[in-house]
Amino acid sequence: MRGFMTGKGLLGGGIVITMLLVAILAPLFIPDTFATRMDMRARLSGPSLDHIFGTDQLGRDLFYRVVLGAQTSVMIAGAAVLMSVVIGLPLGIISGYYGGVIDNVLMRLVDTLLSFPALLLALTISAVLGPNLTNTIIAIGIAFTPFLARIIRGEALRVAQMPYVEAARAAGTTDLKMIIRHVLPNIMPAIIVQGTISLAFAILAEAGLSFLGLGTQPPDASWGLMIQASRDYLDVAPWTALVPGAAVAITVLGLNMFGDVLRDVLDPRTQT
Amino acid sequence: MAYIINRVLSVLLTLFLISVITFAVTNILPGDVAMMIMGTQSNPEALAGLRESLGLNDPLIVQYGRWIGGLLTGDWGHSLVFREPIAPLIAQKVVASGVIVVMSMTIALLFAIPLGVWAAIHRDRWQDSTASTSALVGVSLPDFFWGIMLILLFARALGWFPSSGFVHPADDLLGAIRHAFLPSLALGLGLMAHLTRMTRSTMIGILQQEFIRVARAKGLAEREVVWSYGLRNAIGPVLTVAGLQVGYLFGSIIVVESLFNYTGMGWLTYQALLNRDIPLIQSSVFVIAAVVMLTNLLVDLLYVVIDPRIRLS
Repeated sequence: MRGFMTGKGLLGGGIVITMLLVAILAPLFIPDTFATRMDMRARLSGPSLDHIFGTDQLGRDLFYRVVLGAQTSVMIAGAAVLMSVVIGLPLGIISGYYGGVIDNVLMRLVDTLLSFPALLLALTISAVLGPNLTNTIIAIGIAFTPFLARIIRGEALRVAQMPYVEAARAAGTTDLKMIIRHVLPNIMPAIIVQGTISLAFAILAEAGLSFLGLGTQPPDASWGLMIQASRDYLDVAPWTALVPGAAVAITVLGLNMFGDVLRDVLDPRTQT
Repeated sequence: MAYIINRVLSVLLTLFLISVITFAVTNILPGDVAMMIMGTQSNPEALAGLRESLGLNDPLIVQYGRWIGGLLTGDWGHSLVFREPIAPLIAQKVVASGVIVVMSMTIALLFAIPLGVWAAIHRDRWQDSTASTSALVGVSLPDFFWGIMLILLFARALGWFPSSGFVHPADDLLGAIRHAFLPSLALGLGLMAHLTRMTRSTMIGILQQEFIRVARAKGLAEREVVWSYGLRNAIGPVLTVAGLQVGYLFGSIIVVESLFNYTGMGWLTYQALLNRDIPLIQSSVFVIAAVVMLTNLLVDLLYVVIDPRIRLS
Protein backbone atom coordinates (compact mmCIF):
# COMPACT_ATOMS: atom_id res chain seq x y z
CA MET A 1 0.00 0.00 0.00
CA ARG A 2 2.86 2.38 0.83
CA GLY A 3 3.92 2.38 -2.82
CA PHE A 4 0.74 4.22 -3.77
CA MET A 5 1.39 7.06 -1.33
CA THR A 6 3.66 8.97 -3.68
CA GLY A 7 2.69 12.16 -5.48
CA LYS A 8 2.34 10.25 -8.70
CA GLY A 9 0.30 7.45 -7.14
CA LEU A 10 -2.09 9.79 -5.34
CA LEU A 11 -2.58 12.08 -8.33
CA GLY A 12 -2.97 9.20 -10.82
CA GLY A 13 -5.27 7.24 -8.52
CA GLY A 14 -7.28 10.39 -7.75
CA ILE A 15 -7.80 11.12 -11.44
CA VAL A 16 -8.79 7.53 -12.22
CA ILE A 17 -11.27 7.34 -9.33
CA THR A 18 -12.76 10.75 -10.18
CA MET A 19 -13.22 9.81 -13.83
CA LEU A 20 -14.83 6.50 -12.87
CA LEU A 21 -17.22 8.26 -10.49
CA VAL A 22 -18.09 10.86 -13.12
CA ALA A 23 -18.67 8.17 -15.74
CA ILE A 24 -20.91 6.14 -13.42
CA LEU A 25 -22.71 8.82 -11.42
CA ALA A 26 -23.16 11.67 -13.91
CA PRO A 27 -25.76 9.87 -16.06
CA LEU A 28 -27.75 9.05 -12.89
CA PHE A 29 -27.98 12.61 -11.64
CA ILE A 30 -27.73 14.82 -14.72
CA PRO A 31 -30.59 14.54 -17.19
CA ASP A 32 -29.61 13.99 -20.84
CA THR A 33 -31.34 17.17 -21.87
CA PHE A 34 -28.64 19.25 -20.15
CA ALA A 35 -26.20 18.07 -22.78
CA THR A 36 -28.55 18.16 -25.75
CA ARG A 37 -30.46 21.40 -25.13
CA MET A 38 -29.59 23.81 -27.94
CA ASP A 39 -29.36 27.53 -27.42
CA MET A 40 -28.99 29.12 -30.83
CA ARG A 41 -28.40 32.57 -29.40
CA ALA A 42 -25.40 31.30 -27.44
CA ARG A 43 -23.70 29.32 -30.23
CA LEU A 44 -19.93 28.98 -29.87
CA SER A 45 -19.87 31.27 -26.85
CA GLY A 46 -16.77 31.26 -24.69
CA PRO A 47 -16.58 30.10 -21.08
CA SER A 48 -18.91 32.19 -18.89
CA LEU A 49 -20.95 31.89 -15.73
CA ASP A 50 -23.85 30.39 -17.68
CA HIS A 51 -21.66 27.87 -19.47
CA ILE A 52 -18.43 27.37 -17.56
CA PHE A 53 -16.70 25.55 -20.45
CA GLY A 54 -18.51 27.49 -23.21
CA THR A 55 -20.84 26.09 -25.85
CA ASP A 56 -20.49 24.22 -29.15
CA GLN A 57 -21.71 25.03 -32.67
CA LEU A 58 -25.32 24.24 -31.71
CA GLY A 59 -25.19 26.20 -28.48
CA ARG A 60 -25.00 23.06 -26.32
CA ASP A 61 -23.25 23.30 -22.98
CA LEU A 62 -19.75 21.81 -23.21
CA PHE A 63 -19.45 21.11 -19.49
CA TYR A 64 -22.44 18.79 -19.50
CA ARG A 65 -21.42 17.25 -22.81
CA VAL A 66 -17.94 16.42 -21.59
CA VAL A 67 -19.22 15.10 -18.24
CA LEU A 68 -21.87 12.91 -19.85
CA GLY A 69 -19.47 11.88 -22.63
CA ALA A 70 -17.20 10.36 -19.98
CA GLN A 71 -19.57 7.42 -19.70
CA THR A 72 -19.24 6.51 -23.39
CA SER A 73 -15.46 6.85 -23.52
CA VAL A 74 -14.81 5.01 -20.25
CA MET A 75 -17.34 2.28 -21.02
CA ILE A 76 -15.95 1.60 -24.51
CA ALA A 77 -12.36 1.54 -23.26
CA GLY A 78 -13.22 -0.71 -20.30
CA ALA A 79 -15.25 -3.16 -22.33
CA ALA A 80 -12.63 -3.31 -25.09
CA VAL A 81 -9.79 -4.05 -22.68
CA LEU A 82 -11.92 -6.63 -20.88
CA MET A 83 -12.62 -8.28 -24.21
CA SER A 84 -8.95 -8.41 -25.17
CA VAL A 85 -8.05 -9.91 -21.77
CA VAL A 86 -10.82 -12.51 -22.04
CA ILE A 87 -9.58 -13.60 -25.49
CA GLY A 88 -5.89 -13.08 -24.82
CA LEU A 89 -5.77 -14.90 -21.49
CA PRO A 90 -6.56 -18.45 -22.68
CA LEU A 91 -4.44 -17.97 -25.82
CA GLY A 92 -1.48 -16.67 -23.84
CA ILE A 93 -1.72 -19.29 -21.08
CA ILE A 94 -2.10 -22.23 -23.46
CA SER A 95 0.81 -20.96 -25.53
CA GLY A 96 3.11 -20.26 -22.60
CA TYR A 97 2.15 -23.23 -20.44
CA TYR A 98 2.13 -25.99 -23.05
CA GLY A 99 4.77 -24.58 -25.42
CA GLY A 100 5.73 -26.72 -28.40
CA VAL A 101 3.78 -26.73 -31.64
CA ILE A 102 0.71 -24.95 -30.22
CA ASP A 103 2.94 -22.17 -28.97
CA ASN A 104 4.73 -21.88 -32.31
CA VAL A 105 1.53 -21.67 -34.33
CA LEU A 106 -0.27 -19.27 -31.98
CA MET A 107 2.68 -16.94 -31.57
CA ARG A 108 3.37 -16.84 -35.30
CA LEU A 109 -0.22 -15.70 -35.74
CA VAL A 110 0.08 -13.17 -32.92
CA ASP A 111 3.33 -11.78 -34.32
CA THR A 112 1.71 -11.39 -37.72
CA LEU A 113 -1.22 -9.56 -36.19
CA LEU A 114 1.25 -7.30 -34.39
CA SER A 115 2.50 -6.14 -37.82
CA PHE A 116 -0.84 -4.42 -38.26
CA PRO A 117 -0.81 -1.10 -36.40
CA ALA A 118 -3.50 -1.44 -33.70
CA LEU A 119 -5.31 1.69 -34.82
CA LEU A 120 -5.34 0.51 -38.45
CA LEU A 121 -6.72 -2.87 -37.39
CA ALA A 122 -9.39 -1.22 -35.25
CA LEU A 123 -10.36 1.22 -38.02
CA THR A 124 -10.57 -1.57 -40.60
CA ILE A 125 -12.70 -3.79 -38.37
CA SER A 126 -14.96 -0.89 -37.49
CA ALA A 127 -15.37 0.09 -41.15
CA VAL A 128 -16.06 -3.54 -42.06
CA LEU A 129 -18.65 -4.13 -39.32
CA GLY A 130 -20.20 -0.68 -39.66
CA PRO A 131 -19.33 1.95 -37.07
CA ASN A 132 -21.45 2.08 -33.93
CA LEU A 133 -20.89 1.79 -30.19
CA THR A 134 -20.79 -2.02 -29.96
CA ASN A 135 -18.60 -2.43 -33.01
CA THR A 136 -16.17 0.18 -31.67
CA ILE A 137 -15.72 -2.01 -28.58
CA ILE A 138 -15.24 -5.12 -30.74
CA ALA A 139 -12.80 -3.32 -33.05
CA ILE A 140 -10.59 -1.99 -30.25
CA GLY A 141 -10.90 -5.26 -28.31
CA ILE A 142 -9.68 -7.36 -31.23
CA ALA A 143 -6.96 -4.87 -32.13
CA PHE A 144 -5.51 -5.03 -28.59
CA THR A 145 -5.74 -8.82 -28.19
CA PRO A 146 -2.44 -9.84 -29.88
CA PHE A 147 -0.47 -7.53 -27.62
CA LEU A 148 -2.06 -8.84 -24.43
CA ALA A 149 -1.77 -12.45 -25.57
CA ARG A 150 1.97 -11.89 -26.09
CA ILE A 151 2.47 -10.43 -22.63
CA ILE A 152 0.41 -13.15 -20.94
CA ARG A 153 2.27 -15.86 -22.84
CA GLY A 154 5.61 -14.52 -21.61
CA GLU A 155 4.36 -14.47 -18.03
CA ALA A 156 2.85 -17.97 -18.25
CA LEU A 157 6.10 -19.27 -19.70
CA ARG A 158 8.04 -17.77 -16.81
CA VAL A 159 5.70 -19.19 -14.19
CA ALA A 160 5.57 -22.63 -15.83
CA GLN A 161 9.32 -22.97 -15.23
CA MET A 162 9.12 -22.12 -11.54
CA PRO A 163 10.15 -24.79 -9.01
CA TYR A 164 6.76 -24.66 -7.30
CA VAL A 165 5.05 -25.63 -10.55
CA GLU A 166 7.46 -28.52 -10.93
CA ALA A 167 6.80 -29.56 -7.34
CA ALA A 168 3.05 -29.43 -7.86
CA ARG A 169 3.40 -31.45 -11.03
CA ALA A 170 5.45 -34.08 -9.18
CA ALA A 171 2.66 -34.22 -6.61
CA GLY A 172 0.27 -35.15 -9.42
CA THR A 173 -1.61 -31.89 -9.96
CA THR A 174 -3.62 -31.87 -13.19
CA ASP A 175 -3.00 -29.20 -15.83
CA LEU A 176 -6.32 -27.46 -15.32
CA LYS A 177 -5.86 -27.30 -11.57
CA MET A 178 -2.29 -26.14 -12.04
CA ILE A 179 -3.35 -23.29 -14.32
CA ILE A 180 -6.12 -22.14 -11.98
CA ARG A 181 -4.24 -22.62 -8.69
CA HIS A 182 -0.67 -21.70 -9.62
CA VAL A 183 -0.31 -20.04 -13.00
CA LEU A 184 -3.25 -17.64 -12.96
CA PRO A 185 -2.64 -16.08 -9.52
CA ASN A 186 1.03 -15.55 -10.33
CA ILE A 187 0.47 -13.81 -13.65
CA MET A 188 -2.35 -11.63 -12.28
CA PRO A 189 -0.11 -8.68 -11.28
CA ALA A 190 1.28 -8.40 -14.81
CA ILE A 191 -2.22 -8.57 -16.29
CA ILE A 192 -3.47 -5.83 -13.97
CA VAL A 193 -0.55 -3.57 -14.88
CA GLN A 194 -0.90 -4.18 -18.62
CA GLY A 195 -4.67 -3.83 -18.39
CA THR A 196 -4.35 -0.40 -16.80
CA ILE A 197 -1.89 0.78 -19.42
CA SER A 198 -4.09 -0.69 -22.17
CA LEU A 199 -7.03 1.28 -20.79
CA ALA A 200 -5.08 4.47 -21.46
CA PHE A 201 -4.42 3.34 -25.03
CA ALA A 202 -8.06 2.30 -25.47
CA ILE A 203 -9.28 5.77 -24.46
CA LEU A 204 -6.92 7.24 -27.06
CA ALA A 205 -8.04 4.69 -29.66
CA GLU A 206 -11.72 5.42 -29.06
CA ALA A 207 -11.04 9.14 -29.43
CA GLY A 208 -9.08 8.50 -32.64
CA LEU A 209 -11.76 6.26 -34.14
CA SER A 210 -14.56 8.65 -33.28
CA PHE A 211 -12.50 11.59 -34.52
CA LEU A 212 -12.30 9.87 -37.91
CA GLY A 213 -16.03 9.12 -37.91
CA LEU A 214 -15.43 5.36 -37.63
CA GLY A 215 -16.17 5.03 -33.92
CA THR A 216 -19.04 6.26 -31.76
CA GLN A 217 -21.82 7.80 -33.85
CA PRO A 218 -24.17 10.64 -32.91
CA PRO A 219 -26.42 10.90 -30.96
CA ASP A 220 -24.08 9.04 -28.55
CA ALA A 221 -21.72 11.66 -27.13
CA SER A 222 -18.04 10.86 -26.83
CA TRP A 223 -14.93 12.96 -26.43
CA GLY A 224 -13.48 12.03 -29.81
CA LEU A 225 -16.73 12.94 -31.51
CA MET A 226 -16.71 16.36 -29.79
CA ILE A 227 -13.18 17.05 -31.05
CA GLN A 228 -14.21 16.03 -34.55
CA ALA A 229 -17.18 18.43 -34.44
CA SER A 230 -14.89 21.24 -33.32
CA ARG A 231 -12.64 21.04 -36.39
CA ASP A 232 -14.63 23.54 -38.44
CA TYR A 233 -14.77 26.10 -35.65
CA LEU A 234 -11.16 26.08 -34.44
CA ASP A 235 -10.58 29.71 -35.46
CA VAL A 236 -13.57 31.20 -33.71
CA ALA A 237 -14.02 28.78 -30.82
CA PRO A 238 -10.84 26.87 -29.91
CA TRP A 239 -12.35 25.82 -26.57
CA THR A 240 -14.68 23.42 -28.41
CA ALA A 241 -11.55 21.33 -29.12
CA LEU A 242 -9.65 22.15 -25.93
CA VAL A 243 -12.36 21.00 -23.50
CA PRO A 244 -12.84 17.44 -24.79
CA GLY A 245 -9.11 17.22 -25.65
CA ALA A 246 -8.23 18.08 -22.07
CA ALA A 247 -10.71 15.47 -20.81
CA VAL A 248 -8.98 12.78 -22.89
CA ALA A 249 -5.53 13.97 -21.90
CA ILE A 250 -6.24 14.14 -18.15
CA THR A 251 -7.89 10.70 -18.10
CA VAL A 252 -5.07 9.08 -20.06
CA LEU A 253 -2.46 10.86 -17.94
CA GLY A 254 -4.16 9.59 -14.78
CA LEU A 255 -4.23 6.03 -16.10
CA ASN A 256 -0.57 6.21 -17.18
CA MET A 257 0.53 7.53 -13.78
CA PHE A 258 -1.54 4.93 -11.98
CA GLY A 259 -0.16 2.25 -14.30
CA ASP A 260 3.44 3.32 -13.59
CA VAL A 261 2.87 3.14 -9.85
CA LEU A 262 1.00 -0.18 -10.10
CA ARG A 263 3.97 -1.60 -11.97
CA ASP A 264 6.40 -0.42 -9.29
CA VAL A 265 4.25 -1.97 -6.57
CA LEU A 266 2.95 -5.18 -8.16
CA ASP A 267 5.55 -6.04 -10.73
CA PRO A 268 8.89 -4.70 -9.55
CA ARG A 269 10.91 -6.86 -11.93
CA THR A 270 10.09 -4.67 -14.89
CA GLN A 271 11.26 -1.07 -14.82
CA THR A 272 9.60 1.97 -16.30
CA MET B 1 24.12 -18.24 -43.95
CA ALA B 2 21.65 -20.62 -42.37
CA TYR B 3 20.47 -17.72 -40.23
CA ILE B 4 19.80 -15.53 -43.26
CA ILE B 5 17.91 -18.25 -45.14
CA ASN B 6 15.87 -18.92 -42.02
CA ARG B 7 15.12 -15.25 -41.62
CA VAL B 8 14.05 -14.79 -45.25
CA LEU B 9 11.75 -17.84 -45.06
CA SER B 10 10.20 -16.50 -41.90
CA VAL B 11 9.63 -13.11 -43.56
CA LEU B 12 7.94 -14.76 -46.53
CA LEU B 13 5.71 -16.79 -44.23
CA THR B 14 4.74 -13.66 -42.30
CA LEU B 15 3.98 -11.77 -45.53
CA PHE B 16 1.78 -14.67 -46.61
CA LEU B 17 -0.07 -14.62 -43.28
CA ILE B 18 -0.48 -10.84 -43.52
CA SER B 19 -2.09 -11.26 -46.94
CA VAL B 20 -4.43 -13.98 -45.66
CA ILE B 21 -5.53 -11.88 -42.68
CA THR B 22 -6.04 -8.78 -44.84
CA PHE B 23 -8.09 -10.75 -47.36
CA ALA B 24 -10.13 -12.46 -44.65
CA VAL B 25 -10.97 -9.24 -42.79
CA THR B 26 -12.11 -7.41 -45.92
CA ASN B 27 -14.22 -10.36 -47.04
CA ILE B 28 -16.53 -10.29 -44.06
CA LEU B 29 -17.80 -6.98 -45.44
CA PRO B 30 -21.51 -7.04 -46.08
CA GLY B 31 -22.04 -6.12 -49.73
CA ASP B 32 -19.39 -6.67 -52.38
CA VAL B 33 -17.48 -4.89 -55.09
CA ALA B 34 -20.28 -5.33 -57.64
CA MET B 35 -22.71 -3.63 -55.28
CA MET B 36 -20.19 -0.84 -54.71
CA ILE B 37 -19.84 -0.24 -58.45
CA MET B 38 -23.52 -0.33 -59.38
CA GLY B 39 -25.17 0.95 -56.21
CA THR B 40 -27.78 -0.74 -54.03
CA GLN B 41 -30.69 0.24 -56.30
CA SER B 42 -29.33 -1.51 -59.37
CA ASN B 43 -31.03 -4.12 -61.51
CA PRO B 44 -30.48 -7.56 -59.88
CA GLU B 45 -29.75 -9.22 -63.22
CA ALA B 46 -27.11 -6.68 -64.19
CA LEU B 47 -25.64 -7.06 -60.70
CA ALA B 48 -25.49 -10.85 -61.08
CA GLY B 49 -23.84 -10.42 -64.48
CA LEU B 50 -21.20 -8.08 -63.08
CA ARG B 51 -20.57 -10.45 -60.15
CA GLU B 52 -19.99 -13.26 -62.59
CA SER B 53 -17.63 -11.23 -64.78
CA LEU B 54 -15.67 -9.98 -61.74
CA GLY B 55 -15.37 -13.55 -60.52
CA LEU B 56 -17.16 -12.85 -57.24
CA ASN B 57 -19.05 -16.14 -57.47
CA ASP B 58 -15.83 -18.12 -57.36
CA PRO B 59 -14.85 -19.81 -54.10
CA LEU B 60 -12.93 -17.53 -51.72
CA ILE B 61 -9.74 -19.49 -52.17
CA VAL B 62 -9.83 -18.85 -55.94
CA GLN B 63 -10.51 -15.15 -55.34
CA TYR B 64 -7.62 -15.01 -52.91
CA GLY B 65 -5.35 -16.72 -55.44
CA ARG B 66 -6.32 -14.18 -58.08
CA TRP B 67 -5.66 -11.27 -55.70
CA ILE B 68 -2.29 -12.53 -54.53
CA GLY B 69 -1.34 -13.39 -58.13
CA GLY B 70 -2.16 -9.82 -59.10
CA LEU B 71 -0.12 -8.43 -56.20
CA LEU B 72 2.90 -10.47 -57.28
CA THR B 73 2.67 -9.55 -60.96
CA GLY B 74 2.08 -5.83 -60.36
CA ASP B 75 -1.60 -5.82 -61.31
CA TRP B 76 -3.15 -4.47 -58.12
CA GLY B 77 -6.55 -3.75 -59.63
CA HIS B 78 -8.50 -0.47 -59.79
CA SER B 79 -9.63 1.78 -56.98
CA LEU B 80 -13.40 2.23 -56.98
CA VAL B 81 -13.25 5.73 -55.48
CA PHE B 82 -10.31 7.19 -57.35
CA ARG B 83 -10.99 5.27 -60.57
CA GLU B 84 -7.26 4.74 -61.05
CA PRO B 85 -4.96 1.73 -61.03
CA ILE B 86 -3.99 1.03 -57.42
CA ALA B 87 -0.26 0.26 -57.73
CA PRO B 88 0.88 3.70 -59.01
CA LEU B 89 -1.55 5.40 -56.62
CA ILE B 90 0.03 3.65 -53.63
CA ALA B 91 3.58 4.17 -54.90
CA GLN B 92 2.96 7.91 -54.97
CA LYS B 93 1.37 8.03 -51.50
CA VAL B 94 4.16 5.97 -49.94
CA VAL B 95 6.61 8.76 -50.84
CA ALA B 96 4.44 11.35 -49.09
CA SER B 97 4.17 9.25 -45.92
CA GLY B 98 7.84 8.36 -46.08
CA VAL B 99 8.66 12.06 -45.78
CA ILE B 100 6.68 12.55 -42.55
CA VAL B 101 7.70 9.22 -41.04
CA VAL B 102 11.40 10.05 -41.51
CA MET B 103 10.94 13.64 -40.34
CA SER B 104 8.97 12.74 -37.23
CA MET B 105 11.41 9.98 -36.30
CA THR B 106 14.33 12.41 -36.74
CA ILE B 107 12.65 15.07 -34.59
CA ALA B 108 11.81 12.48 -31.93
CA LEU B 109 15.30 10.93 -31.71
CA LEU B 110 17.07 14.30 -31.89
CA PHE B 111 15.34 15.51 -28.74
CA ALA B 112 14.49 12.29 -26.91
CA ILE B 113 18.04 10.94 -26.55
CA PRO B 114 19.65 14.04 -24.97
CA LEU B 115 16.56 14.63 -22.84
CA GLY B 116 16.48 11.03 -21.63
CA VAL B 117 20.19 11.03 -20.83
CA TRP B 118 19.87 14.37 -19.04
CA ALA B 119 17.02 12.99 -16.91
CA ALA B 120 18.97 9.81 -16.16
CA ILE B 121 22.14 11.56 -14.96
CA HIS B 122 20.06 13.81 -12.70
CA ARG B 123 17.93 10.94 -11.45
CA ASP B 124 15.28 11.95 -8.87
CA ARG B 125 16.29 15.59 -9.00
CA TRP B 126 14.32 18.48 -10.50
CA GLN B 127 15.79 17.95 -13.97
CA ASP B 128 14.54 14.37 -13.92
CA SER B 129 11.08 15.22 -12.65
CA THR B 130 10.72 17.98 -15.24
CA ALA B 131 11.74 15.72 -18.12
CA SER B 132 9.81 12.69 -16.86
CA THR B 133 6.64 14.63 -16.14
CA SER B 134 6.69 16.33 -19.56
CA ALA B 135 7.26 12.95 -21.18
CA LEU B 136 4.35 11.42 -19.28
CA VAL B 137 2.09 14.28 -20.37
CA GLY B 138 3.41 13.85 -23.89
CA VAL B 139 2.46 10.17 -24.13
CA SER B 140 -0.99 10.96 -22.74
CA LEU B 141 -2.07 13.47 -25.38
CA PRO B 142 -3.70 12.09 -28.54
CA ASP B 143 -1.75 12.85 -31.75
CA PHE B 144 -4.66 14.66 -33.30
CA PHE B 145 -4.85 16.88 -30.25
CA TRP B 146 -1.20 17.84 -30.77
CA GLY B 147 -2.14 18.41 -34.40
CA ILE B 148 -4.98 20.78 -33.52
CA MET B 149 -2.76 22.71 -31.10
CA LEU B 150 -0.03 23.03 -33.73
CA ILE B 151 -2.53 24.25 -36.33
CA LEU B 152 -3.86 26.86 -33.92
CA LEU B 153 -0.39 28.07 -32.95
CA PHE B 154 1.84 27.77 -36.03
CA ALA B 155 -0.68 28.02 -38.86
CA ARG B 156 -3.47 30.25 -37.58
CA ALA B 157 -1.84 32.52 -35.00
CA LEU B 158 1.72 32.81 -36.30
CA GLY B 159 1.21 31.82 -39.95
CA TRP B 160 4.65 30.19 -40.18
CA PHE B 161 3.60 26.87 -41.69
CA PRO B 162 0.73 25.74 -43.93
CA SER B 163 -1.89 23.67 -42.11
CA SER B 164 -2.85 21.43 -45.01
CA GLY B 165 -1.73 19.88 -48.27
CA PHE B 166 1.20 17.92 -49.66
CA VAL B 167 4.00 19.06 -51.98
CA HIS B 168 6.19 16.46 -53.70
CA PRO B 169 9.84 16.79 -52.66
CA ALA B 170 10.96 16.41 -56.28
CA ASP B 171 8.93 19.48 -57.29
CA ASP B 172 9.85 21.80 -54.44
CA LEU B 173 12.00 20.48 -51.61
CA LEU B 174 11.53 23.44 -49.30
CA GLY B 175 7.79 23.50 -49.92
CA ALA B 176 7.64 19.77 -49.22
CA ILE B 177 9.39 20.20 -45.88
CA ARG B 178 7.20 23.16 -44.94
CA HIS B 179 4.02 21.19 -45.68
CA ALA B 180 5.29 18.10 -43.91
CA PHE B 181 6.55 19.98 -40.87
CA LEU B 182 3.39 20.32 -38.77
CA PRO B 183 2.14 16.77 -39.36
CA SER B 184 5.63 15.45 -38.58
CA LEU B 185 5.80 17.49 -35.40
CA ALA B 186 2.34 16.24 -34.35
CA LEU B 187 3.54 12.67 -34.80
CA GLY B 188 7.02 13.35 -33.44
CA LEU B 189 6.00 14.89 -30.11
CA GLY B 190 4.20 11.80 -28.86
CA LEU B 191 7.00 9.60 -30.13
CA MET B 192 9.60 11.83 -28.51
CA ALA B 193 7.86 11.54 -25.15
CA HIS B 194 7.84 7.77 -25.43
CA LEU B 195 11.49 7.52 -26.46
CA THR B 196 12.56 9.93 -23.72
CA ARG B 197 11.05 7.59 -21.14
CA MET B 198 12.77 4.65 -22.80
CA THR B 199 16.18 6.36 -22.99
CA ARG B 200 15.94 7.45 -19.37
CA SER B 201 15.18 3.99 -18.00
CA THR B 202 17.81 2.28 -20.18
CA MET B 203 20.46 4.81 -19.19
CA ILE B 204 19.62 4.47 -15.48
CA GLY B 205 20.13 0.72 -15.79
CA ILE B 206 23.46 1.11 -17.56
CA LEU B 207 24.85 3.82 -15.29
CA GLN B 208 24.55 1.40 -12.35
CA GLN B 209 26.81 -1.18 -13.95
CA GLU B 210 30.33 -2.13 -13.00
CA PHE B 211 32.14 -0.84 -16.08
CA ILE B 212 30.76 2.64 -15.45
CA ARG B 213 32.18 2.55 -11.92
CA VAL B 214 35.50 1.39 -13.31
CA ALA B 215 35.50 4.19 -15.88
CA ARG B 216 34.81 6.73 -13.12
CA ALA B 217 37.40 5.18 -10.82
CA LYS B 218 40.13 5.46 -13.39
CA GLY B 219 39.42 9.18 -13.53
CA LEU B 220 37.65 9.65 -16.86
CA ALA B 221 35.75 12.90 -17.23
CA GLU B 222 32.08 12.45 -16.32
CA ARG B 223 31.06 13.67 -19.75
CA GLU B 224 33.04 10.90 -21.39
CA VAL B 225 31.68 8.29 -18.99
CA VAL B 226 28.09 9.26 -19.76
CA TRP B 227 28.25 9.87 -23.49
CA SER B 228 30.80 7.38 -24.77
CA TYR B 229 30.48 4.61 -22.18
CA GLY B 230 26.85 4.98 -21.13
CA LEU B 231 25.00 6.12 -24.23
CA ARG B 232 26.92 3.80 -26.53
CA ASN B 233 25.42 0.87 -24.65
CA ALA B 234 21.97 2.41 -24.42
CA ILE B 235 21.60 3.24 -28.09
CA GLY B 236 20.81 -0.32 -29.21
CA PRO B 237 17.75 -0.85 -27.02
CA VAL B 238 16.56 2.69 -27.74
CA LEU B 239 16.78 2.18 -31.51
CA THR B 240 14.96 -1.15 -31.18
CA VAL B 241 12.10 0.57 -29.42
CA ALA B 242 12.16 3.35 -32.02
CA GLY B 243 11.87 0.69 -34.72
CA LEU B 244 8.94 -0.95 -32.94
CA GLN B 245 7.30 2.47 -32.80
CA VAL B 246 7.15 2.57 -36.60
CA GLY B 247 4.08 0.36 -36.34
CA TYR B 248 2.49 2.81 -33.95
CA LEU B 249 3.49 5.64 -36.28
CA PHE B 250 1.71 4.00 -39.22
CA GLY B 251 -1.45 3.81 -37.14
CA SER B 252 -1.16 7.46 -36.17
CA ILE B 253 -0.55 8.73 -39.70
CA ILE B 254 -4.13 7.79 -40.54
CA VAL B 255 -5.43 10.32 -38.03
CA VAL B 256 -2.73 12.95 -38.52
CA GLU B 257 -2.69 12.89 -42.34
CA SER B 258 -6.47 13.20 -42.37
CA LEU B 259 -6.33 16.15 -40.00
CA PHE B 260 -3.73 17.95 -42.12
CA ASN B 261 -5.18 16.85 -45.45
CA TYR B 262 -1.75 15.47 -46.19
CA THR B 263 -2.30 13.02 -49.03
CA GLY B 264 -0.12 10.06 -48.00
CA MET B 265 -0.79 6.40 -47.22
CA GLY B 266 -2.72 7.23 -44.05
CA TRP B 267 -5.01 9.59 -45.90
CA LEU B 268 -5.43 7.09 -48.75
CA THR B 269 -6.28 4.24 -46.37
CA TYR B 270 -8.78 6.46 -44.59
CA GLN B 271 -10.51 7.38 -47.87
CA ALA B 272 -10.60 3.69 -48.81
CA LEU B 273 -12.13 2.70 -45.44
CA LEU B 274 -14.63 5.56 -45.43
CA ASN B 275 -15.85 4.70 -48.94
CA ARG B 276 -15.57 0.94 -48.50
CA ASP B 277 -13.31 0.76 -51.54
CA ILE B 278 -12.54 -2.93 -51.01
CA PRO B 279 -9.68 -3.41 -53.52
CA LEU B 280 -7.95 -0.27 -52.23
CA ILE B 281 -8.48 -1.28 -48.56
CA GLN B 282 -6.88 -4.66 -49.24
CA SER B 283 -3.83 -3.26 -50.99
CA SER B 284 -3.16 -0.37 -48.63
CA VAL B 285 -3.64 -2.40 -45.46
CA PHE B 286 -1.34 -5.06 -46.88
CA VAL B 287 1.31 -2.50 -47.81
CA ILE B 288 1.25 -0.84 -44.37
CA ALA B 289 1.55 -4.16 -42.50
CA ALA B 290 4.34 -5.30 -44.83
CA VAL B 291 6.26 -2.03 -44.35
CA VAL B 292 5.94 -2.31 -40.56
CA MET B 293 7.12 -5.91 -40.58
CA LEU B 294 10.09 -5.17 -42.85
CA THR B 295 11.10 -2.15 -40.75
CA ASN B 296 11.23 -4.35 -37.68
CA LEU B 297 13.41 -6.81 -39.56
CA LEU B 298 15.73 -3.99 -40.61
CA VAL B 299 16.04 -2.80 -37.01
CA ASP B 300 16.91 -6.32 -35.89
CA LEU B 301 19.68 -6.48 -38.45
CA LEU B 302 20.86 -2.96 -37.61
CA TYR B 303 21.15 -3.97 -33.96
CA VAL B 304 23.77 -6.54 -34.89
CA VAL B 305 25.78 -3.84 -36.68
CA ILE B 306 25.56 -1.41 -33.75
CA ASP B 307 26.29 -3.96 -31.07
CA PRO B 308 28.75 -6.61 -32.32
CA ARG B 309 28.35 -8.55 -29.05
CA ILE B 310 24.97 -9.75 -30.30
CA ARG B 311 25.83 -12.59 -32.63
CA LEU B 312 23.41 -14.13 -35.04
CA SER B 313 22.10 -17.28 -33.46
